[in-house]
Amino acid sequence: MTGVKAEPSSLTYRIGVDVGGTFTDVVAIRSDGVIVLEKTPTTPADQSDGVLDGIARIAAAEGLGSTEAVLALTTSIVHGTTTGDNTMIQMTGAPTGLLVTTGFRDEIEMRRCYKEDIWDPGLGPPEPIAKRRVRLEIDERMTAEGEVDTPLDEDGVRAAARRLRAFGVTSIAIVFLHSYLNPIHELRARELVLEEHPDVELVSLSHEVYPKPPEFERTSTTLVNAYVGPPIVRYLGRLEQRLRDAGYQHELLVATSAGGVATPDAIGRLAVATIGSGPTGGVVAAGRASVDAGLDDVVSVDMGGTSYDVCLIRGGRPELNSDWNWRHRYCIALPMVDIHAVGAGGGSIVHADGTRLLVGPQSAGSEPGPACYDRGGTAATVTDADLVLGRLDPERFWGGRAALDVSRARAALEAVGRPLGLDADETAVAATRVVDAFMTDAVRRVLSLAGVDPRRVDLCAFGGMGALHATAQAAALGVQRVLVPRAAPGFSALGLVSADHLVDLTRGLIADWREIDVDQLHALGCELEATARVQLDRADVPRDRQVLDFALNLVYPGQTFDHPMPLSFSSDEPLTRADVEACVEAFHRENEAARLIEARAQEPMVRGIRLTATGLVDRPAEAQLTAVGEHAPRARRRVHTGDAWHDDVPVHDGSGLAPGPAIDGPALVEYPFTTLLLRAGDSATVLPNGDVLVTVA
Amino acid sequence: MDRGTTTAEGYDAVTAEVIRSRMETVCFEMATFVSRTATTPILNQSNERNATILDGRGRLAALSVGIPQFMLSSTLPVRFCLEFLEGELYPGDVLVANDPYTGGGHLPDFNVFSPVFSPDGEVLLVASIQCHHGDTGGALAGGYNVHAKDIWSEGTRYPLLKIVERGRERRDVILTMRANNRLAGFVGDLRAQVGAAQLGAQHLDELVAAYGADAVRDAVDTTIEDTRRRFRAEIAEWPDGTYEADVYVDSDPAGNTDIHVHVAITVAGDQIVVDFAGSDERPELNAWSTFGNTRGYTIAQLASLVDPSIPKNEGFFDCIDLRIPEGSCLNPTVGKPVSAGTHHPGVEVADAIAIAMSRIIPDRCAPQTYKYGSPRQMWGAKDPRSGKSFFDHGGEVNAGWVNAVRDVDGWGALVASNGNLIKASAEINEALFPHILRGRDYRTDSGGAGEWRGGCGSHFVKEVRTPTDVNQYVVNQRHLHPGIAGGRDGAPDRCIISEGTDRARVVAPSVTEVRMETGDRLVYDFGGGGGWGDPLDRDPQSVLEDVWDEYVSVEAAHDDYGVVITGSLEAMTLALDQGATEVRRAERRATP
Repeated sequence: MTGVKAEPSSLTYRIGVDVGGTFTDVVAIRSDGVIVLEKTPTTPADQSDGVLDGIARIAAAEGLGSTEAVLALTTSIVHGTTTGDNTMIQMTGAPTGLLVTTGFRDEIEMRRCYKEDIWDPGLGPPEPIAKRRVRLEIDERMTAEGEVDTPLDEDGVRAAARRLRAFGVTSIAIVFLHSYLNPIHELRARELVLEEHPDVELVSLSHEVYPKPPEFERTSTTLVNAYVGPPIVRYLGRLEQRLRDAGYQHELLVATSAGGVATPDAIGRLAVATIGSGPTGGVVAAGRASVDAGLDDVVSVDMGGTSYDVCLIRGGRPELNSDWNWRHRYCIALPMVDIHAVGAGGGSIVHADGTRLLVGPQSAGSEPGPACYDRGGTAATVTDADLVLGRLDPERFWGGRAALDVSRARAALEAVGRPLGLDADETAVAATRVVDAFMTDAVRRVLSLAGVDPRRVDLCAFGGMGALHATAQAAALGVQRVLVPRAAPGFSALGLVSADHLVDLTRGLIADWREIDVDQLHALGCELEATARVQLDRADVPRDRQVLDFALNLVYPGQTFDHPMPLSFSSDEPLTRADVEACVEAFHRENEAARLIEARAQEPMVRGIRLTATGLVDRPAEAQLTAVGEHAPRARRRVHTGDAWHDDVPVHDGSGLAPGPAIDGPALVEYPFTTLLLRAGDSATVLPNGDVLVTVA
Repeated sequence: MDRGTTTAEGYDAVTAEVIRSRMETVCFEMATFVSRTATTPILNQSNERNATILDGRGRLAALSVGIPQFMLSSTLPVRFCLEFLEGELYPGDVLVANDPYTGGGHLPDFNVFSPVFSPDGEVLLVASIQCHHGDTGGALAGGYNVHAKDIWSEGTRYPLLKIVERGRERRDVILTMRANNRLAGFVGDLRAQVGAAQLGAQHLDELVAAYGADAVRDAVDTTIEDTRRRFRAEIAEWPDGTYEADVYVDSDPAGNTDIHVHVAITVAGDQIVVDFAGSDERPELNAWSTFGNTRGYTIAQLASLVDPSIPKNEGFFDCIDLRIPEGSCLNPTVGKPVSAGTHHPGVEVADAIAIAMSRIIPDRCAPQTYKYGSPRQMWGAKDPRSGKSFFDHGGEVNAGWVNAVRDVDGWGALVASNGNLIKASAEINEALFPHILRGRDYRTDSGGAGEWRGGCGSHFVKEVRTPTDVNQYVVNQRHLHPGIAGGRDGAPDRCIISEGTDRARVVAPSVTEVRMETGDRLVYDFGGGGGWGDPLDRDPQSVLEDVWDEYVSVEAAHDDYGVVITGSLEAMTLALDQGATEVRRAERRATP
């Protein structure tokens, strides 16, 4: 992937490091726009080993000799880590305790009555972060107006802190009711805890993690934060130290699940914000690519080996979702890129159940992998089906590093299809139809949650298998265009480098909009702005690159989940009732547009004020390709494109493609790590930056 | 290559699977549409909306997430429509129905549905969305007049109305429905449902256009047949015989006591007969569960006993011969009130089935039920903060009645089948209503003892900040949520209004319009779930863990589980006395 060699001393680098389940991707963007990609095995015990190894490989690829040499020229490193997710998957967080207002000890178990499967009484509870014995009650209470109803029992806090210490607790979450309105009890409790238990690694206050109602979402988020905080802080501290020792002089930035980046200092207080950040890099990159291609609203579809991730991106920005986000069986209510994952990928197992042919959700993974990998796996998978249908080149799969065995794929598919009366080819076609339908339905569900008509969006397909299945899905959805970014492998790491800094803050304040205290609202907004500016300043974002977007959280009486509506706000000028009214009017209109004709019959409640502060990151300049007069296929072969077999389908080398005449289907475009399938009637255009835009038949 | 690659017409197993998946997505899209657009809390807050697709014969083809007993009972009003309006349905029609006596459960549940036609003009599919509304007209606000003497004083019955005819909204129908409802948001919510039904019908039209009517018909047949086959295979494993159970409701809101539900389930090969003959028939009852309601609870409970991955559709109903004597409390004659009976004896139907089936397949036999009386209603003339009147339906989180199953202790707040009901929070409700929620902690020892322990109920305390009137009905005080396979019953429910004052009143079984003064507390101890299996078989280590966590006391460990624990929680010295436990358990086994 290395481009033209340039004089090293004149160049600087920006590095993105994305730790995946199997590989750690390291992307370096040179100041001349050239992109260098390296892959190295992920080191689960300490991810920083893989990170340093990846950077060493970049140094080698660039002929710089040493890690120190490349780091001396590096101006930023953005890191996506799965440490938090792994901590939750393995439940290896800090021994955590919880202090709550008397009467609310069991909030974390009651979960607002939510259970994951309404049909399965045999589903057990999640593994507890804090057992009931280390969830202790403190006498104290605020009213819904933020006034002290019951004063803080300071002796009770001291006793509780000593008891948690005796239980071996090293991280403590404190969640008091209505603390988002008046945090004095939480703040004082932290002081008392630190006096009694000075060795505690972290005391996480609910009003600092999620300063708004309701209590369950705040309890769960704060508890997870306390649990994953210490291991994440230890990990980032170690990594920072190793980078500093190797001569890196700038801030290490960490990817968050909201699709932005934050400083390790901010992550230290809000480590929970990294959970679920794994797939966000790709979505951010898809947003950038879709803007470059002139597309408006797109759905990014990332199909890898085991999962299919879907995300709606409007105007280049991924949709965020707050409040009712569930990860690892806990509610993490912070704003997250709204990625919906379903179990479908190249490794998904094709199986028969009576008269039905099913695909997934079980996956053969990468070990033993699909039958065609010939690594001991005998299960037929989607990859086997694509291979049998001629869509994959057995000699060039995974950049030619692994040869695929067509006969094993065929045998596995035959065995599955036999009871249904299908031969290997028929089973392969059937399997791709089933998995395509399944993924198409996943896209429909995401769009229906947002109220978006599929015919009004485009797709952006990436991941190892994304481009192979995207055109069929687009046709089923009524989507007319599919964007296939050229940097499909390492796409997620690339997204990290171009991700903006993001600080998303909310303060709760509940009142009928007509009775809201605008001065109080203004004061809260100013507090949010001050907090956000501190974080962005610390990350070296100049003031003129800091963009502040305020919103008022509104609901109709009785609605559960907040709807943020843009609010005109300035810290220099007082907020007026007219500003609030404009916001409410827009809320009514939006609801009327959604066919809620009686919207105006009810007066909305204000539930809080939200600030999304963005620190804009300069985008790397991209090399532009020179147009060519024609595209010469490097091979031709027999391919089944979903509707029928076609002989002599042209196969193009994606890495060498430049802008030129359209490529008409049926055709294949092969990249080192992915393949684009064009069906009859599909037509692909190569864009100036090398991305491919397909018009779907 | 003729099979497996068929595109536009013809049948194959793959097309059936693709169509089935698409129909489930259409249900999801309908339900989501309502959640996004409705304003009534019960619709968009609690997920109490149930989307289904039926075929032209009114058979259930697909459904989305919602509440099992309601999704499974929403077919009958559609079936009534297909028969009553045969030949009078047209593309673009949308219908509404809420009548408990033409297939519904109770008046607040409004079914809205739209037919989809084949090219030759036959009704092929019906897209249906059922939602619970906050008012139905009638004598009392809120749609839940549990003291009504008949259905007409409960609210307005709509057996069938065309709310949209060939794509045009019927203004006369909207006018009439608006005139018969107290809530400003009612018509808006109804229109949200209409929009959802239209969206569903539109997507189903696209499905028919893409695959052809025959392929869709075949897909529905295949998916129903698949469920029937898998359900039958499970039934065939069950030992033949007749299994009976008797369950009682303490009292209806009018004070008629010991309402009796009897079930006899006969398993013969791969068929079962569920017969409720012998259930209460006293005409003076005011708690009646309609046929549709009884049927919904029956099928939902049976569905929870089998492999959860079996697609839910008409295939379940086909294996069950359901017999409910007309005139009994489980199938009332037209005119009886149904608000109270929807819940009790409605849920006791499921309790009875769980107990009867536990004799042969005990492992998953947890009643998928709850023991709420009516919604707790609290209202007053003046919120001191705003000066305005208020009405609190009492939809906050509470925990109760979660049974254990084999290998899993009861956990969380409510049973799995209510897992989509997202309940209200203290912080938001305190901003809306003048009260302070003093707590809702689990009650130690409230979960039924067992080899697997029942879930604990919560101790719920609500303090009012201004004079407040309250309605309350409480069941599960004498006839308790049942343990299974030797497990003990959960602890009873108990509710005291204005506890600790000279106004204190224990609710048994119901009170209306009782005045609470400023600072008074309503204390509701919700009942526990039943245990599973003999408590003497519980791993003593698990009992010790439960004592550490105060789900179980040292005393109950000794008395109920035969487990001797030394030391104290306070001093963090709890320990298991293995020898004394063995002695204690041997004694208990010798003298049961």
